[in-house]
Amino acid sequence: MHDLPQQLANGLILGALYGLVAIGYTMVYGIVQLINFAHGEIFMVGGFGALTAYLALPGGTTLWLAVPLMLIAGILVSTLVAVGAERFAYRPLRSAPRLAPLITAIGLSIVLQQLVFSFYPDAKKARVFPKIPGDPFELASVTIQRSDIFLIIAAPICMLILGWFVARTRSGRAMQATSQDPDTAKLMGIDTDRVIVMAFAIGAAFAAVAAVAYGLRTGQVDFRMGFILGLKAFTAAVLGGIGNIYGAMLGGLALGLAEGLATAYIQHIPGMHLFGGGAWKDVWAFVLLIVVLLVRPQGLLGERVADRA
Amino acid sequence: MTTTTAPAPTGTTLLDVRGVTMRFGGLTAVNNVDLTVSEGEIIGLIGPNGAGKTTFFNCLTGLYVPTEGTVSYKGNLLPPKPHRVTQAGIARTFQNIRLFANMTVLENVLVGRHSRTKEGLFSAILRGPGYRRAESESHDRAMELLEFTGLAAKADHLARNLPYGEQRKLEIARALASDPGLLLLDEPTAGMNPQETRAAEELVFAIRDRGIAILVIEHDMRFIFNLCDRTAVLVQGQKIVEGDRETVQNDERVITAYLGAPLEGTGAAASTEADQ
Repeated sequence: MHDLPQQLANGLILGALYGLVAIGYTMVYGIVQLINFAHGEIFMVGGFGALTAYLALPGGTTLWLAVPLMLIAGILVSTLVAVGAERFAYRPLRSAPRLAPLITAIGLSIVLQQLVFSFYPDAKKARVFPKIPGDPFELASVTIQRSDIFLIIAAPICMLILGWFVARTRSGRAMQATSQDPDTAKLMGIDTDRVIVMAFAIGAAFAAVAAVAYGLRTGQVDFRMGFILGLKAFTAAVLGGIGNIYGAMLGGLALGLAEGLATAYIQHIPGMHLFGGGAWKDVWAFVLLIVVLLVRPQGLLGERVADRA
Repeated sequence: MTTTTAPAPTGTTLLDVRGVTMRFGGLTAVNNVDLTVSEGEIIGLIGPNGAGKTTFFNCLTGLYVPTEGTVSYKGNLLPPKPHRVTQAGIARTFQNIRLFANMTVLENVLVGRHSRTKEGLFSAILRGPGYRRAESESHDRAMELLEFTGLAAKADHLARNLPYGEQRKLEIARALASDPGLLLLDEPTAGMNPQETRAAEELVFAIRDRGIAILVIEHDMRFIFNLCDRTAVLVQGQKIVEGDRETVQNDERVITAYLGAPLEGTGAAASTEADQ
């Protein structure tokens, strides 16, 4: 167990990544009760948006300049795609039975993957994403890759801004009101269509931040990267209590920690040596989800659905 | 008891409803109803359960799109979009209280202020001086309305923890926050005891004295006749009579609607059945 601090750090960093993407699931669900299964692809196109910006920059541009520009490009692409999806795919189905937008989301997810696969140059295999060069940081016994510094800084900043925005601003209050009772919110003069667009846009922007972090961390982006990460982030959102933004972050961190610790330690438990290692990490993540949902069906920070009536 | 400052109808028509009809499939819930409300007026809307009163309110506020007919406010046609109706100057409360239960009392009123404040995503994030000023103005105005309704001491309580009577008051404070010219109250005294009902009457007069016209649905006849300059009676979706207290109380059709038709041969048929 001498490497526990290292495993905790790895788990938290991975968890922050899940949490950022989970925000998008949870916000959209909180406002329109739609599980936006295309959100993983919103994340993916953000990565390609950032890559495009990087390739457009003259060679040798310092990463101090390149990363912010990549971030802006990624956010722009993700947000545009998400807002477009809301406008043209989901809004016409607003009053349709719940299954229709759900199936649309799955369809949209396939469409976005195939568009990138077919039309982005050389996207048939993974594209190389820049990494932040240099030796990793050593803090006591913990080693942190330089590329992860971006995530360690960006995730808390994003969460603080979002928490402040939702609790303290007029638009944030409109968002809370719409999620609690959309009809009454309209009668307060709130344009709920705008609130819905805003929820999609914020979720997409966070997904793009996560995509840049993911690219820097793994050194590549590919058109399938949104699938498994989207699934994990959705799991994180449910784990934390879907509809609750702090729940999404907490769920992400819990999931990341569970994966990290299970991968490292399960195999040392007597009789469990077959179930450790990276191959089983997804299994343990979902075992955690099942256990939490058995004990607390509403998720860690979720509210009982009866409160919404 | 209640000091009725003389209703000063300036004559300007605020709300003008013409021929509003609402059908749900084969059911006509509201049938060809006309109604006007002028500045400074308190108008009552009564009728038996299921007469279509709340449906009529929903047509006025854009929650329902009327099958036929028009709703104008200050001479402009209202689009059937609730947030536009609120922006135009009509606010309402609900028969079943619909507060934002998980927000504080103050936050509820601030949400009510939404249509009178401007601030987008970016100005909020940039936190310019305009943003701060708008937030503090909204806050002051919200607190003033909480003073007015007697809820200021509970500004930080969660709305769902208020007792019933105060939840009703909070709904009114939240509706007033949009600076309406016309306030629609849907059974404001439902579930209240007599003292609370008297207090509600005082509150309605106080609101009218602020220059806000009121259209109120009520079952409590004493409340209605104490307050209202005119009362309209809705029965099975149709407006059967409209007028002052005397007119409404003495109308055969109103009595029939509430108490049922008199039996054949009992002396109650003294008047002529002109309405058949």
